[in-house]
Amino acid sequence: MRSLLFVLLCLGVATPQAESMPYREYDALEEYAPSVRGDMWLSGTYRLWADPGRLDWRMAGNPEDNWKLNWKFMDPPFNQTVHGGHFALDRGEELFRALNAKGRFAACLGARQGRLKGLRTGYPRYHAQLRRIVGLEEAIELCAARQGRELQNGSYDNSAVSLFLASKSQGMPIRIQVDKGPMQQAYARGRKLFHMRTGRSNMACSSCHTHRIGLKLRNVAVTTPYGDVAHFPVYRTRFQLQSLQLRFVECNLDSGTQPLRPGSSAYTDLEVFLTALSNGYPVSVPSERH
Amino acid sequence: MHQRGKEPRPTGFLTAPGMTGLVFPRLFRTKPGAWLVSLLLLPGVWAAELPPDAAVDRGVPTMTLTPQVVVHSGRLEWEPFSRDLSAWPTLSHADRRSTEKPRRVSLTGPLEGDATRGRELAMRRDKGFCMLCHQLPGEQWSGNFGISLLGYRLNHHADADLYQQVFDPRVNNPHTAMPPYGTNRILSDQEIRDIVAYLQSLE
Ligand code: HEC
Repeated sequence: MRSLLFVLLCLGVATPQAESMPYREYDALEEYAPSVRGDMWLSGTYRLWADPGRLDWRMAGNPEDNWKLNWKFMDPPFNQTVHGGHFALDRGEELFRALNAKGRFAACLGARQGRLKGLRTGYPRYHAQLRRIVGLEEAIELCAARQGRELQNGSYDNSAVSLFLASKSQGMPIRIQVDKGPMQQAYARGRKLFHMRTGRSNMACSSCHTHRIGLKLRNVAVTTPYGDVAHFPVYRTRFQLQSLQLRFVECNLDSGTQPLRPGSSAYTDLEVFLTALSNGYPVSVPSERH
Repeated sequence: MHQRGKEPRPTGFLTAPGMTGLVFPRLFRTKPGAWLVSLLLLPGVWAAELPPDAAVDRGVPTMTLTPQVVVHSGRLEWEPFSRDLSAWPTLSHADRRSTEKPRRVSLTGPLEGDATRGRELAMRRDKGFCMLCHQLPGEQWSGNFGISLLGYRLNHHADADLYQQVFDPRVNNPHTAMPPYGTNRILSDQEIRDIVAYLQSLE
């Protein structure tokens, strides 16, 4: 009798939670274009930073206007200063050469005949062996492990290799396809996650990056989500080298949401979504941000 | 209503770490058949917990971790974050915990708030942190996500309306970006009273 009661108790508690979806709130769900040009319908600032080589230097020097350039004046070729990103790039090249001594590391990452050119522009992508979508940093972690080296997703050395690979696609437009199959599903999930309210403040990414572009949090103006991925991993004085998913961690912490570990499927969906919003924008590294 | 001095905790069944410990000894005292059936049902119960991909350390009282990038290292280090954010829903696909629904409340009795304490709470990063979004007197780096609160008293809002706005602003505007301070247990009843008193003092 007691055991029957116990089972009933379990049923009563477990069933509603196993079957019903948790209650969630969404910020007004917007449409986006899987191309950097979509910003013309969002913030309209794209025309000011469309060409990284020809930014208005007067705007860059004006604290009221500089955010409208999406901070692209901190990317090459506009930014010619030597910063921590350059040292990271050297480190990444060194690590890559050691890992790729037999050419297996590059092959594992998907380079055809060892060619690194353009590799960065096609990530995240569906990995046939793993049967899931991986970002470049996750692929680096997996492929380095096969060479017997630990390069955790988000670690300095992992991001350094990612930065080196990005430099091999310097100036080439990002181009991931999100119009069919698993990539399309990941894009759709990522868009929804971007609008999902979470954490103690009950805010979504879009509460800031879609619906309040140009407004300030203390003294920092929020910018468009279009075109961001092209300059990651980025050098930040406070964080050394920051991968895109570590930026998600930072934004989560800043807005009161418990962050996830890099490589989690939700962060990867967000990465697919944001990368599609950078489609057509040239890779520009090494870059820095405040 | 949640009172002051308590850490915010989720309200769902089996969400506090201690609760799972209460279930297991009971499992072993019941008959094996029941044990097996219960085991099949357990995933539903586990699902109400913190998801496995959350960056937490259960050995640290504040749970939530923040990453530390160490130069020339292949390991990503983590340190305890200054606040515990683990009690509220994350972005994880495995997070089955519900968001708290909007709550309509009524202020009971006289306000009895302390404007000086209210100002302190409004400034604290772990409490109101109002100047992140609103202009406040004496704050150089105020944000402009929300309306300016300079001279706010002159709006002549009723205490009860301000109490509701701070407790759960979603009741007034579902698209708001302002946190539901009362519903999400960031501020206690008395703390909200203090902040309302502070707002009503802004000349
Ligand atoms: C409370 C407002 C807020 C929320 C919520 C927020 N962010 Fe941010 N985010 C910022 C601010 C402020 C910056 C720095 C200024 C800028 O570049 O917009 C930033 C920067 C970024 C950047 C870097 C931009 C660059 O050019 O380097 C990315 C990427 C980003 N956020 C993604 C996200 C994602 C994904 C989410 C949701 C998980 C999110 N943010 C949630 C405020 C927010």
